Amino acid sequence: MLNATILLQILWTSLATSSYYVLFAVAFALVLKVTRIFNFAQAAIMTVAFYSAFVTVQWLEWPAWAAFIVMMAITLAASFALERIGFEALRKRGVSVMFVFVFTFMVSEFVAYLAMLAFGTWPQTIFPTIFWPVTLVGNIAVSAWDLPAIGATIAMLALLFSFMRFTRMGQFMVGVADNPDLAELYGVNKRQIFLVAVLMAGALVAVGMFLYGTRAQVLPQTGLSLMLFAIAATIIGGIGNIAGAAIAAIILGVIQNSSILVIPSEWQGLLLYVFLFLAIVFFPNGLRLPRRRRRFATATRDIGGSKDASAAEGQV
Amino acid sequence: MSPRIWSVKGLTKAAAVVALLMASGAAASAQQAYRFGLAMPLTGSQALYGQDQVKAAQWAVDEINKAGGINGKKLEMIVLDTQADPQIGIQAVNRLISVEKVPAFITAWSGVVKAVAPIANDNKVVELSVGANSPDIATLGDYVYTTFPLADIDIRAVANYAATKMGKKKAAIVFINADTGTAAAEVYKKVFTAAGGQVVAYEAYDPKATDFTGQLLKVRAANPDMIHLQGLVSDTPQVIAQMRQLGLTQPVSSYSAAYNPKLVQQLGAAAEGVIATSLAPGVADSDKVKDYVARWVKEVGREPNGLPYTEYLYDAPYMVADIFKALDSKKLPPTGENFRKEMLAQGAFKLPLTGNTKLGADHTVVKPVYLMEVKGGKWTKKAVVGE
Repeated sequence: MLNATILLQILWTSLATSSYYVLFAVAFALVLKVTRIFNFAQAAIMTVAFYSAFVTVQWLEWPAWAAFIVMMAITLAASFALERIGFEALRKRGVSVMFVFVFTFMVSEFVAYLAMLAFGTWPQTIFPTIFWPVTLVGNIAVSAWDLPAIGATIAMLALLFSFMRFTRMGQFMVGVADNPDLAELYGVNKRQIFLVAVLMAGALVAVGMFLYGTRAQVLPQTGLSLMLFAIAATIIGGIGNIAGAAIAAIILGVIQNSSILVIPSEWQGLLLYVFLFLAIVFFPNGLRLPRRRRRFATATRDIGGSKDASAAEGQV
Repeated sequence: MSPRIWSVKGLTKAAAVVALLMASGAAASAQQAYRFGLAMPLTGSQALYGQDQVKAAQWAVDEINKAGGINGKKLEMIVLDTQADPQIGIQAVNRLISVEKVPAFITAWSGVVKAVAPIANDNKVVELSVGANSPDIATLGDYVYTTFPLADIDIRAVANYAATKMGKKKAAIVFINADTGTAAAEVYKKVFTAAGGQVVAYEAYDPKATDFTGQLLKVRAANPDMIHLQGLVSDTPQVIAQMRQLGLTQPVSSYSAAYNPKLVQQLGAAAEGVIATSLAPGVADSDKVKDYVARWVKEVGREPNGLPYTEYLYDAPYMVADIFKALDSKKLPPTGENFRKEMLAQGAFKLPLTGNTKLGADHTVVKPVYLMEVKGGKWTKKAVVGE
């Protein structure tokens, strides 16, 4: 069964379809890193993103670019509300981590329920059609969806990483991720940073859902089921390691799809759980990227205590 | 000082009088009306089907009453919500039997049908399962009957048809790794091989998957001349889309999950040649069905969700009315026992949309399977199996 064409085809399609998984994983990892919140409410943001695009295209019949802008605006508004009205209120009250997690879970379930009431339970897509024309490159079928998907994902990741690397706010974000109270002593507005992180995650999720919803059907509870992959990739990639989450998402996606060649198809769904189990047992700290040397001085570098500095240095 | 009528004593007396009046009024009207129950998902994830089915049944009840009801008396349908959940179904049926005192009720969704069967049997109330297809419904007890064909008669029909009438020798089966998929895939394999064909690929996919490249490439390598897909509404279009993208041009058969107009819209030209099964006649088969669908579009603005199921639910009150009419003519009280006796005595019913329905002694019913195919961007009837 292992001939070059089949292998290349699987590799190509799984690479293309891992695009939205990467965006979801990175969004989750980003919020976890900066705010230390296990943001299960991301599923709610995903649901909001999808249905706002769906309504704009299928009910209002606006063109795709307008739908994208509307979706982005509404998703960012929802993320804003989640952070300012939700998380901040919980922070002020000093609630436990468990409480916040339960809260995020309830938000997602509630939004899924609202979506079901508003839109019914019939599966929907953003565009009326999900069939994308295909061109043959060599013997590989490349769908008209694939390249824009990969391109959009690379663009979003590039934006994210250059933001975190080259802008001041990005640096502050890394500092807040490491030690929010200490960063605040150095004049970093941690409230603002939390908001920026949640907003950026919202933007990533919006692009991800636009990609997903133009290729597959979505139900009100789809957001919740997609979260498992994002969480798995984040854990395997190492908590606090956004690049690790991205890489883990790609690798998991490719392995999950190529596994069909060596294991019976019924076992494919099990793979994700197997990887998660192995990661938690044998690699609790996840993948580790080699430490990069920083070129710019950061606020946190001067704190002293090599542990803090190196943590801020090496991980993005 | 408040007037005397507002004292607690005065109020209780007034309430008692009102209650008595209402009870006697209800008793009086109960004698005038024939009542049966309908337990359906009005809320929850299945509501999109449940509500349409209830609407169809309500239309039928209104039509029957307009045409004179049960020998002049009104036919009344009591609708309760089950959420397609066995627990809630039990509560609904208990209420129908103990409070509303109906001699018969209609319900659907295999889980609910099975859960409430003991209640129906114990209380000697007829349970009519309309829409559920689990094979063990035929063995649930003396008072449980179905008007909807059970089990996999649609899968058998399409597998047989592919092997015998379409002359297909090599079939590939792609199915969702869940109850619906695995059970039906087994049946297709059995029937297709028994009819002289060979199953060259047998691939499952995860319910959460959105990429089926691996499975479809295996199917492609096996070179079948027929592909059968057993998925759910939420993944069937994607699988077919990917099939066509990967160069699989073979005819694709599926079951009722594929039979909806949206599929054609979602797949465009890729939908050509897709075959789906339906257990009720389509618009092209019967004028009555055509008018029925036209009425939906006019009054509701769309076609019904799960058209075949709504047809069965439209017909069910007619069957109930026929039995009530007979009981009324014979001056027999409408108890569950009498209802059952009369139903079995009549045995065969001529129903408006789904046609002839004959209740078997083994608690099953035999109905034809309609094979529909997408031709020229529209669902057209390809064949009728088992008429």
